[in-house]
Formats: sequence, structure tokens, C-alpha cells
Amino acid sequence: MRRHRRDRTGRGARFQLFRWRAVGPLLFFLAVFLIVWALFGERVVKTQLESALGTALGTQVDLAGLRIREADAAVDLSGLAIADPRNPRRNLLEAGAIVVDLDPAPLAEKKLVVDRLALSDLRLGTPRSRPARPADPRSPAGRLLRATEQWAREKFQFPALALGRLDTLKSLVLDPSRLATVQAAEALARRADSARTTLAGALERLQVRTLADSATALAARLARADPRKLGIAGMKDAAAAAQRTLQGIAQVRQRLGDLERTGQSTLELLEQGVNDLDAARQRDYALARGLLALPALEGPDIGGALFGKPSVEVFQRALYYAELARRHLPPGLQPWNRPGPRRARMAGTTVEFPRRNEYPRFLLRDGVVDLSFGSGQVALEVSGLSSQPALYGKPTVFRASGRLGGAAPVRLELQGVVDHAGEVPRDSVAARIEGVNLPDLALPGLPFTVHPGRSSLLLGFTLHGDRLAGRWEIGAPAARWTADTARLAGQSVVERAVWRVLEGLTELRVRAELGGTIANPSLRVSSNLDAAIAAQLRALVGREVEKAERMARQEVDRLVAEPLALVRSRVGEFQTLARERLPLEARQLGEVERRLQAELKRFAGPAGGLLDLPRLP
Amino acid sequence: MLTLLKLLQSLVKALHSEGTPGQVAAGIALGACLGLTPLLSLHNLVIFAALVLLNVSFAGGMLGLAVFTPLGFLLDPLFDRIGAALLRNPALTGLWTDWYNTPVVPWTSFNNTVVLGSFAAWLVLVAPLFLWARWAVARYRETYGQRVANSRWFRAVKASRLYTVYGWVRGE
Repeated sequence: MRRHRRDRTGRGARFQLFRWRAVGPLLFFLAVFLIVWALFGERVVKTQLESALGTALGTQVDLAGLRIREADAAVDLSGLAIADPRNPRRNLLEAGAIVVDLDPAPLAEKKLVVDRLALSDLRLGTPRSRPARPADPRSPAGRLLRATEQWAREKFQFPALALGRLDTLKSLVLDPSRLATVQAAEALARRADSARTTLAGALERLQVRTLADSATALAARLARADPRKLGIAGMKDAAAAAQRTLQGIAQVRQRLGDLERTGQSTLELLEQGVNDLDAARQRDYALARGLLALPALEGPDIGGALFGKPSVEVFQRALYYAELARRHLPPGLQPWNRPGPRRARMAGTTVEFPRRNEYPRFLLRDGVVDLSFGSGQVALEVSGLSSQPALYGKPTVFRASGRLGGAAPVRLELQGVVDHAGEVPRDSVAARIEGVNLPDLALPGLPFTVHPGRSSLLLGFTLHGDRLAGRWEIGAPAARWTADTARLAGQSVVERAVWRVLEGLTELRVRAELGGTIANPSLRVSSNLDAAIAAQLRALVGREVEKAERMARQEVDRLVAEPLALVRSRVGEFQTLARERLPLEARQLGEVERRLQAELKRFAGPAGGLLDLPRLP
Repeated sequence: MLTLLKLLQSLVKALHSEGTPGQVAAGIALGACLGLTPLLSLHNLVIFAALVLLNVSFAGGMLGLAVFTPLGFLLDPLFDRIGAALLRNPALTGLWTDWYNTPVVPWTSFNNTVVLGSFAAWLVLVAPLFLWARWAVARYRETYGQRVANSRWFRAVKASRLYTVYGWVRGE
């Protein structure tokens, strides 16, 4: 292909469009690239895979080896270790060998479809030789971890089972500014005051009184006037003046109606706020009670104080993984965003554009995980794990069952569904483990430790939309209790009485039930200790506690009395304005309007249609 | 310092190559794509192949790469915004969806805001850049070119090993 060649300043001659002689060097570069890929490609893919999995899971992921079998469209991984995001010295899991069989066609679309994944030699909860890097707190997974930890801290607070501190009754010092009732009442009073000022200002600007007075005067003048003596011009003037005033009245009445409606809705909000103050006062009672460190005497409180924290940790962990699944397996087919790849240049955002009947970006059709421990064996099956579940149309299902150990085996059953194919995602997991040796559990704030021994565990967790449902149970039929005798000797008679209850028990049963929504969760924790401890406490210190509680309530009532009176007064003023003064002004204007209309009709009568009177509103 | 030297070397070689101003300008325009957009993308493989196979100045391409790479880093936030605006434009969603589900195309990473934004910016700039570079090279050669070519340091640069490799690629 020949064109005119130009000289060095760009003029004349002919030249070739293609530089055929460069094909050789280009092929050479290609060969060099292939050699580099053969030497370092697997290492690059391994690093990328570690990085991508680490970012997705929010923890360090290590791979000992990776081999790509191009001819078989398969990848062999070895030595996978995923660190526990909460404990850098432990691995969540380690896998000896993983074989990934890929569907080659979707690779052309940069999509990864795994026909079959086989994972063997899996170990859970193994110690790490080197601590894992902490999760990047700015990564989505790191932020999610922090968010769920904060959720657990803020949404669940359990009364401490602090015993033997009844002498602090006399030293109750409440800071009024810390009381929720005072804060809420002051804020509400400010709102009521501001709303009253705004409404009164708007009413003032309408100048209802001035308008009513001038309209009354006009009506009186018209009443005194004789239409026959005014003549046609006089009648027209009088009628026009009346009509102008009537129009003004109509406008002001309309504005008054608007103000009445606004005032009514504001008043409802303020009244709702006053009602909410009761709930704030209940929280203040609890705060005062907490400051007195009074022992809980009700069963549910005791269950929460003893086993609330470990129960919340279980549900928090389940929520973290459910939310993580939602982030990586989003429902629906709308385009969705994920951070771009890590590189020297800015990562940017990568936007996915899924379409029905196309491959999702990632799909694991079938996965088989062989968990072999000594003489036992557990098989885990996973199917339909897809990054775009709406494309795949089916939920991800995983189930595991088996037995581990020889003479005293641990039985495991696990089943889970991650259903993000519809608009409202539903994630659920149910697990039962029997015969597991649970670690010792120290009772918070008390010198007692329970050794559950061989126990059974049951976990059920469902997140449907934002609705939570969960159950966690421990059953330890041969539990033992020990006391820190040195600490116990220094404790009060109450602790010693509780110890007498505990040392006689040979069984531990704990049950925690989660409900509500993510924003408003509820948790009920109970155990077989609750009733026994509550009875013992009631017998020993029930009267003292009731007295202290009464005192705490009285102290709260004293401190909140003034702010409550203030807010009631402010709301009352607003109520008077909105429910009495506004309707009164409207009524007065209505009366004047009727009088003026009557006079206008009287003027229209003698005119007998000769006058072109303005139309009445 | 090394980057600066390389830039200088690219500049000298491009301006004093055997190519016409049009060939040098075309090389610079293609090299600008390599510099402005993230290098490891499929479209840059095509651009590189074009730079080698088409009768344009390879040195011009390297000059474009050297000049526009730092500019690319600097303008990444702007490219990110341009790319985001394009990818989130409802009128274009159908087009992106088609491309996303077409073999090979997704390997260009067009659905990344920085890649798309920088490529779109290059597409807008390529014609004015080519015209300006052609004029500038012609003007340079008419004015200072000969004086620089006779200087001692230019001869030193021309004798360097890199220039020999370039000549080999260039087919001289």
C-alpha cells in the first residue's frame, strides 16, 4: 500500500502505510512475553488471587502454590490459608489441595465459571506461625467488620450481675445533663418554642385584627347607608369596596387554614415527643439503677448478664458474613460497582453490567469440600455460588454432615441458603454440633468459671431483607463449676449464696433468641441458672434492691421534673395558639365576611340587575 | 533524573528521526494513549502493535508515552469522573451491557472508570494533538533542527545502545 512520501519537513514523496519489517521484532517481543508468562505468570496470578480474596474477605489470604493447566482449563491450588479477621494468630481455615475445573468459554468474556471445585485436607481454626496483617480498615470488608462490631456494642447492653455493692446506695450522684429525659425535654422545649414563635409570627404578619376591624367598620358604614340615596356611582363604589375587603378576607382565611393545618401536624409531633419522654425516663431509671450496681433480680436480666456477650458475638459474626455475602453477591440485575484493580494508577471503580441469560462474572456450579480429620470425615457441598445470583436464578446452597474423631466423635450437621435471586435477599444458616468440647467460660464480673465439657451446640440464623431471626443454644449435661476461692473469700454474702447455687448444678443450658430488624434488634438470653440465682438473690437482697430502685426512680423524677414542666408549658402554649387562637381568629373573620356579604346582597337588590356588581366569592 | 534523561532522549530521537513530521506526530498521538490510559489494558496492546506495524515514528510513540504518563497520573481523578459519568449515563447503559457481554471486549477493562475516562479523553485529544505535533515538528526542523543535529551531545545520544535498538525496530 503506497502513498505519497513526504520529506523531513513534511512535503512531497510517497510512503508505505505498513512497516512489514517490524513483524519480526513484534513476533520476537511476543515470544519474550510468552517466555516471561511461562516463568512468572503463575506467580502473578497467585499474587492477584491472594489480593482479590483478601480484599473480598477482609483478611489475609495466603497460597503456597498455584499451577495453571491450560490444556485442561483447570487450576491447582495448594496451601490455602485464610486468617481469622478477629484473631490474627489464627486461621479460619487451611486447605491442603484445591482443584478448580473451569468452563473455558466464559473466560473470553472475562468471566469465571467453575464447573467443579474439589477441596481436600481442610482444617479449621489452626494457629498461624506468623500473625496475619490486620484488615485494611478502609477496605469495604474492614468497614463492614467495624460496622457490625459497633452494631453489637450499641444495640445490645446487658446489666452487669454486680453483686454485693449495695453500700453504694447512698452515693448515687446523677448528672442531669446525662439523663436522656432531660436532653429530650430540653430539645423538645426548644422545638415547641421555635414552632410557637414561627406560628405567632406568621399570624402577626396576616394582620387579622386590622383586617377584621376595617371590615367591621365597612360593614357598619354599608348598614347605615341607603342604596337609593347613593346613586348608581355611589352604589358601585360601595360594592367595589366591599368586594375588595371580601377578597382580602378570603385570602387571609385561606392562609389561616394553612396555618391551622401546619399547626395541627406540628402539635401532633410535639405531643408524640412528650409521649416519648416516658420511654426516655425508663432508660434513665435503668441508668440510675446501673450506677447503683444493683443486682438483677429478673430471670432474663440474669441470663443476659451471664451469657449475653458470647451470644451477641455469635450473631454478630453471622451478620457480618451475611452482609459480606450481600456485598459480593448483590440481588437484582442493576449495574453495580466495585473498586477497580490495585495498580500504580488510580484504581477507579469497575461497573458491572449483568444481563439475563448471560454468564455471571463468577459462578461456582458445584463444589465438594472434603474435611478429613483422623478417623472422621465430613463432606461439604456447595452449589450455585454466583456473584450475580439474579442471572443464575437459583440460590446458593451449602450443606455439610459427618462425624469427626474416633471413640468420642463430634457430629456435625450444617445447612445454609444464600438466596439473592429475588429482589429481597434471604440468607440463612442452621448448624448442629454434638459432642464438642467447649472452652471454659468465665462469668463476667463474678469469680466463677463454668467448664461445659462435652456439649451440643445449635445455631440458626436468618437475615431476610433487614429482618433478623436467630437462635443459639448450648447444652452441657456434665458441666462443672469452679470458683476463684481467693476472690470469693473477699466477696459479700450474696456471691457466696450464688456460689452455693452454682456448685450444686451439673448441667448448663443456655438459649439466646434474636429477633427484630437490624436497626431494632431484640435479644432474649436465658439459662437454667436464671431462676435459681434470681430466687436466691430475691431472698437475700430483694427488699434492699427494691428500696434502692425506688430511690433511684425518685432521684430521676426529681431531676427531670423541671425540664418536664418546662416542655409541657411550651407545648401547652403552642397548643393554645394552634387549637384556640387560630380558630378564634378564623371565626371572627367568618362573621365579618357574612355581614359584608349580607350588605352586598342588600345593595344588589335595589339595583335590580342594573348595576354590574362584582361577583361574590 | 533517569526519567528526565529518557524523556530528553525520546524527544531528541523523535525530532531527528528519519520520519516525516506526520509520522512523528502520529507516533506521538498513539504513544499518548499508552501514557494517558492505564498501560496494562488490552487496547494498549492494539495501540502498541499499531505503533510497531504502522509506518509511524516509534520514537514519537515513546516520546508520547514519556510525556503523557505523568500527565495520566495527574489527571486520574478527572478521568475517574469522566468515566463514571459515561458508565452511569442511562442512555449508554444498553451499549455498555452489550459490550460487557461480548467476548474479548471486557478484557479492555472499558467498564473501569479510569480506563474509560482516560481513553475517552485520548479520543478527544488525538486529532488536535496530531495536528499540533505535526506543525511543531516541522517548525522545529525548519528552525533549530540542523543546529542541534550538529551538536556534540546529540551525536553522543545517537551513538547510544538504545538508539541502535530503536534503529533495529525502525528497520534502518
